[in-house]
Amino acid sequence: MRPNASVLLLTVSTGFGYGLLAWLGVDSALRLLPAAHMRTLVATGVALSLIFVSIGLVASGFHLGRKERAWRAFSQWRSSWLSREAVASVMTYPIAIAFGIMVWRHGDGVWARVVGAAALAGSIGTVYCTAMIYASLKPIRQWHNSHTVPDYLVFAAFSGALLFAVLRTALIGRPGAFASTAAIAAAALALVAKSAYWRHIDSQKPLATLAAAIGLPKGTEARPLDAPHFTENFVLREMGFAIARRHAAKLRLLVLAIGFVSPLAFSGLAGLGLAPMPTTTLALVSAALGLLMERWLFFAEATHVSALYYGRSI
Amino acid sequence: MTMLPKPQAGAKRLGLVVDLDTCVGCHACAVNCKEWNTGGQAGTLPDYDKYGPNPDGVWFNRIHSYETEADGCSRTVNVPRSCMHCEDALCVTVCPTGASYKRAEDGIVLIDTDICIGCKLCSWACPYGAREFDEEAGVMRKCTLCVDRIYDEKLPPNEREPACVATCPSRARHFGDLADPQSKVSRLVAERGGVDLLAELGFRPTNKYLPPRRATIPTEPPKATSSGGLGAALLNLLDKVLSR
Repeated sequence: MRPNASVLLLTVSTGFGYGLLAWLGVDSALRLLPAAHMRTLVATGVALSLIFVSIGLVASGFHLGRKERAWRAFSQWRSSWLSREAVASVMTYPIAIAFGIMVWRHGDGVWARVVGAAALAGSIGTVYCTAMIYASLKPIRQWHNSHTVPDYLVFAAFSGALLFAVLRTALIGRPGAFASTAAIAAAALALVAKSAYWRHIDSQKPLATLAAAIGLPKGTEARPLDAPHFTENFVLREMGFAIARRHAAKLRLLVLAIGFVSPLAFSGLAGLGLAPMPTTTLALVSAALGLLMERWLFFAEATHVSALYYGRSI
Repeated sequence: MTMLPKPQAGAKRLGLVVDLDTCVGCHACAVNCKEWNTGGQAGTLPDYDKYGPNPDGVWFNRIHSYETEADGCSRTVNVPRSCMHCEDALCVTVCPTGASYKRAEDGIVLIDTDICIGCKLCSWACPYGAREFDEEAGVMRKCTLCVDRIYDEKLPPNEREPACVATCPSRARHFGDLADPQSKVSRLVAERGGVDLLAELGFRPTNKYLPPRRATIPTEPPKATSSGGLGAALLNLLDKVLSR
């Protein structure tokens, strides 16, 4: 599948935004925020998370052929995960804004905690819908499997934890034990999850054979003789995009190093109190680059059944 | 509305039956499809870089040729590929706008290009690669089963069939109601053992493909030349010479 810049930016950026919002909800519900800084932390945190979410949603608009009709995407939530994602993301805005304003005005309180928990639910729900867009596509084995949804949720929690650590350091001077531990644990979990995903897709069999694609009996050997056209078309550009295995192997190592190991190490240093502002920032930047690469690979390594007709391996 | 329609009693299931035994791979169906769908009410089907080095464009029907073996012989199988008008059309349910829909009355899968936002998700959902993006209009396009021909009462009844079927010179394409077991297409499928493409993926395509028949054509063994004097001997000699 062809990686599209706007879709990569959408899923990575909303991951940071909803991840941060989710952690704010968790910390507020569990009363883990330092009382003296709670109001500024939640208010700026909500604003920051909505900036990341909005960057992602605006980027997604550039993927559309007819941007002016984007509002129509809110109508088919009964069947379409893309529509559900749109509805969930827009419903999470007022909840997040209410959460920010309530804490800013009144500090901690039962209602603030309830609305914070609702913002947490909205964040998880939206990321879940995003992941289901991919997980529901049966012709793509690398997406239609049990790893896709947990992976998206883990990556959102991971990126949000790093963003939260930077925010806390900027406002309070240090990330604090909980945010540091959360960032380290999430980085380790993300590393394990992505490695497990790669092991899984490497062991999958192709979804179908060329014989099945053209209706010949099972086991029949078939080879493409003449293609319908001698230049690339939409199907080949969009669905036939494939990356060479040896390139993929190198990029996977880079994703693990830049995306997960380096943020884990920098978060550890920050947790030990070593130059927390530069280290948390480096962890965040490194993870952002790594996750963009990870999302690029998520597309580039995915194969589509329709490419079989052109004799490509899937 | 992108929910799939509930099955209706007596509803038609219109589709194509393609005979892989007689398809000669001439691309006439694809060309006539392009011709019909680029004009008239359907509007244009765009082409890009028409006279340049990389011509490209939107086609609803693509003809592939494959080499395979059967009964100890090499064989060419030509496979026209277009929308299968699936019963479980994932391209319909993933659509966020309601632009992609399946008609309850005849099962045809269509796109309302007036509301399509061009997100391309339906093309990802189709295992057959049947949907192509119209870069000029910014919307997705696909086979309409010539819905603007098959119901057009201004056309003579024998012309109310899809353009690809009307044009096929080897009569390898058939159009009809696959929900009716007595229809010509259903009987063809039953007689010839018609199959679904990518059946195991479970999209339940309406279109069916008739597999190629046995490659060997039984022939009469050569008759023993009768003994019949000089004339027969001369004819026999002539036959041998000419057979070289």
